[in-house]
Amino acid sequence: MINDFEQAGNCNSNLYFDNAATSWPKPEAVYKAPEIQMRQGCGNPGRSGHTRTLEADRLVYRAREAVAGLFRVADPSRIIFALNATDALNIALKGCLGKGDHVLYTSMEHNSVLRPLGTLRRDGVITTTLIPCSETGFPDLDFLEEAYRADTRLLVINHASNVTGTIAPLQKMIQSAHRRGVMVLLDAAQTAGTIEIDTGALELDLLAFTGHKGLLGPTGTGGLYVKKGLNLKPLREGGTGSQSEIDLHPESMPERLEAGTLNNAGLAGLIEGLAFIEQTGIAAIREHEVEIRAYLYQQLQAISGIRLYGPADPGSASCIVSFTLDNTDCGEIGYILENNYGILCRTGLHCAPLAHKAIHTFPTGTVRLSPGYFTTRADIDYLTGALRDIAKLAAG
Amino acid sequence: MAESCYITFPTTYYAIRAESVLKTQPYSFKMIPVPRSISSSCGTAMRCHCEDLAAIREILLQNSLELEGFYRLEEIGLRVPEVEEIHFDQ
Repeated sequence: MINDFEQAGNCNSNLYFDNAATSWPKPEAVYKAPEIQMRQGCGNPGRSGHTRTLEADRLVYRAREAVAGLFRVADPSRIIFALNATDALNIALKGCLGKGDHVLYTSMEHNSVLRPLGTLRRDGVITTTLIPCSETGFPDLDFLEEAYRADTRLLVINHASNVTGTIAPLQKMIQSAHRRGVMVLLDAAQTAGTIEIDTGALELDLLAFTGHKGLLGPTGTGGLYVKKGLNLKPLREGGTGSQSEIDLHPESMPERLEAGTLNNAGLAGLIEGLAFIEQTGIAAIREHEVEIRAYLYQQLQAISGIRLYGPADPGSASCIVSFTLDNTDCGEIGYILENNYGILCRTGLHCAPLAHKAIHTFPTGTVRLSPGYFTTRADIDYLTGALRDIAKLAAG
Repeated sequence: MAESCYITFPTTYYAIRAESVLKTQPYSFKMIPVPRSISSSCGTAMRCHCEDLAAIREILLQNSLELEGFYRLEEIGLRVPEVEEIHFDQ
């Protein structure tokens, strides 16, 4: 069977500006570890008692410890693994919300939050209030202060918008919620691995992350941090290898929220992504991304006809710049960038329709450029050169 | 008669955490499938010398581990051994 990827050729022939969708390239060890795990991992964690099972158990434990270390979680049993951030957000929302609960969320949320909330609202389980955001994507904190009700149970915050990169004022929002006894769920899909998150200092209740973006691991990895004392209702129940004689799912963490065999091969890769981040230092990663984002923003600002969205200050944003070009379809720009220049980016609504309403780009969307830790200034020069050509063409 | 002691855990997570904690300690132990004569939530148990059991338990508790039970078993090969459950005063 011919592999489609082999046929398409190596990604090295492209310039990659789509790290907000999935990070590329990965550290070399991330490619290798899943293969080694599959070849040598003849054991299913938690099942059987042979030594290869123990090896698999140790792999999962190391992955849990590495994630806990990154997010400064003292007890790794509070980290559970899921398919991705969407899965983790579903586990969190459907596991903690019950009949009559009121939920606050912001315009910058992704569909992975909007849709589960939409279903719970349609089914009459919850009521919600949307916290509006400014044109640059910052939530209206005055509005938030007035939005709490006696039945408000949860505030959902997107740490950084996948459209504009805007970083939410976390500390203020969490303090505001906790003053009223409201729990906070943080969607860290765009920030885990690139921006420091200290769950203890922030006193976060729930944190959803994905493994294949900033954590530099394979797709199919991700998870959820659940604060001690918070017992979520499991979304899935089934085999755990423990308490097999009982026909109810175990209540102990982490098994409570993990049913079925985990993605061992993916976790092996994730461990290597986390090791790379630890060796490099999250501060160094952030510093590079701030610098590269500032350079990209500045270069784009100089191109006539380009409108930029999101904060001008790179310290207030993740490594994303969204733009539109006057009188031009953004999908067309993406097509020309790939076909004429080999540049990969994402165009459209980015699964975040309310964010585009906030920044006034709904329904046409934007072109989103998301460089990463491995992007160089030379890459940005090539990209902005291409965009200057396209802008000239568009201006006629 | 030779005998060994066993510690059982509520979940695999705690069994592996116990192993990780004890690796740096001067006690010999082995992670093994739970003998069927012992009832346990998790399939992996820690086997150790009975004279070390109290000290090992102390270290594990100091590291916030959740432990399920403690047992003394005669080592009599493949035959089902007598099991003595050990209770510690708090």
